[in-house]
Amino acid sequence: MDVLPAHFLIGLSLGFILFLLATGLTLTMGLMRIVNLAHGALYMVGGYAGLSVARLTEDLVGRDLAFLLGVLAGGLCAGLLGLIMETGFLRRLYKRELDQVLLTIGFIYILTNLTQWVWGPVPEYGYIPSILSGSIPVGGITFPVFRLAIIGFGLAAAAGLWLFQEKTRVGAIIRAGMDNKEMTMGLGINLKLVFTGVFTLGAFVAGFCGLIGAPLLGVNLGVGWDALLLAMIVVIVGGTGSVQGALVGGIVIGLVVAFGKAYFPQLAYFTMYLVLIIILLFRPSGLMGRTI
Amino acid sequence: MGKANLAGSNRQPWQARLLSLAPYISIGLVLLVLPSFLSTYPLSILTKVLIYAIFAMSLDLIVGYTGLLSLGHAAFFGVAGYAFGILMVRYGIESFWLVVPLGILAAGIVAAIIGYISLRVSGVYFLLVTLAFGQLLSVAAVKWTSVTGGTNGLVGIIKPHLGLPGFTWTNFSFYYLVFLAFVICFFLLHRITNSSFGRALVGIRENEPRMQSLGYNTWAHKYVAFIIGGLFAGVAGVLFASFYGIMVPGHLGITTSSSVMLMVIIGGAGTLFGPAIGAAFILVLERFASDLVPERWPLILGVVFVICVLFLRGGFGSYLSRFWRRVRLSVWKS
Repeated sequence: MDVLPAHFLIGLSLGFILFLLATGLTLTMGLMRIVNLAHGALYMVGGYAGLSVARLTEDLVGRDLAFLLGVLAGGLCAGLLGLIMETGFLRRLYKRELDQVLLTIGFIYILTNLTQWVWGPVPEYGYIPSILSGSIPVGGITFPVFRLAIIGFGLAAAAGLWLFQEKTRVGAIIRAGMDNKEMTMGLGINLKLVFTGVFTLGAFVAGFCGLIGAPLLGVNLGVGWDALLLAMIVVIVGGTGSVQGALVGGIVIGLVVAFGKAYFPQLAYFTMYLVLIIILLFRPSGLMGRTI
Repeated sequence: MGKANLAGSNRQPWQARLLSLAPYISIGLVLLVLPSFLSTYPLSILTKVLIYAIFAMSLDLIVGYTGLLSLGHAAFFGVAGYAFGILMVRYGIESFWLVVPLGILAAGIVAAIIGYISLRVSGVYFLLVTLAFGQLLSVAAVKWTSVTGGTNGLVGIIKPHLGLPGFTWTNFSFYYLVFLAFVICFFLLHRITNSSFGRALVGIRENEPRMQSLGYNTWAHKYVAFIIGGLFAGVAGVLFASFYGIMVPGHLGITTSSSVMLMVIIGGAGTLFGPAIGAAFILVLERFASDLVPERWPLILGVVFVICVLFLRGGFGSYLSRFWRRVRLSVWKS
């Protein structure tokens, strides 16, 4: 039996989760020059909050709708936290990179400890809606429906985000802001508001992924750092500042991790670093990156 | 400051020199006699503070002087400690004169490799890449169980033999070893940062294109500074390993890197003595907090991060040096 397609699909589903995670990070880095190290922590909070809401509402609305509510709640929760972080703190630290870094690390500690306080130290696993549970045969092997759904959803999200970036007015403002801040503001655009919006959107997407990515990455107190690390590597490999970069980086890293796990199980974790090192040595601005 | 120096060098140069050295000498004397008044437990905290002070000063060379945002500095600290411990536990080499230099050398080699790859990017990308490499080493320490002991850590590290007949390590003698290392490291780093090389590093931090157009090879300067920082972190790592007798994978990764970064920032990046004060502040705070509310220590640490970023611009170091400047001026006027 040929297992190649299975590894490919596993890698692809992981790749789309990584893409969604990295999108927020890459846009804030490209536009605001802020590296939000708490991005993974927002993902973690989104996962926990989503799981709680899904379990609470399960009896009332059924497992499928509860999953949707959970995903939405995770996104809203993380988005709200992102809004507070940007308007309350990060806004004052514009162009002070070191301070931004410290602040967002501080938020990782705070969010992780609060999460432990609220939800306890026991790791949780995914919440899969009944409509997406089970497996279906794909090319001679059975494959979990949930992972296929992730691929489908990821494709839709990629298309949506790409359209948002390339075809809408707000997307044009974001791209203009990345290229020339002063000029954009000179045209009468309230870039501050755009910054807040992009940061909140990035946080929302991270939290939104929390429950969706739970069966792949888990929901636990360490996932904040793990998710951050993965998203970071995706951003460096793909290149900063664009949805395409995050997509390419996410899929490359997803596939590399999946095939690494299949063929070199002992060294699986290190395969993505190999990609990272090769990219840094030969194409430091990333696969799709603007020059940095 | 310029005025005071000028006045000093015109009139009584040796007195001016003495005055400017006064804080260092007095702190040195306090650190020299303090152990006689301390019981075992406070002495162990003081030893830890000095080890972390070396660690924080080594990062200050990279972050404060050169302006490279390295969030993977624990890699060198941890590699030195692990190399030291592995030589001792797995190969039975216990001579101080072998394991200590080899441990520090290991940190230097790793810094040379990581620096070579990371310095291809700058700014926050450099930060992300160094962070990633620190995590890589930390995971390697988890997975390579046969050599590193995995998640349980590398245990059974002892204090290395000096080869002196009749000498055995006590808490006191080890403290003085750490103290000596601290004084030497501070002196060397002080000399490095005040040399023309150190001035060039500050120039790179402030305006790299300008330094390039002045004919400086800025890449080589940054690379050498990164390796020197790694070597000094290695000194701290070796001392740490022999003091605690254990290394765990966390000592290589982001938690250690970020807390030493906090020590540098809270103490004042680019002041050298500031990060040492930052180390003392954080470690003493940690001691109290983990006695009172062990569960909530990360929360408190996180709040300290936020407060120091928002309200303590420039760190303790900048306030202290401003205060000291004023004291010196008033002394000279009188």
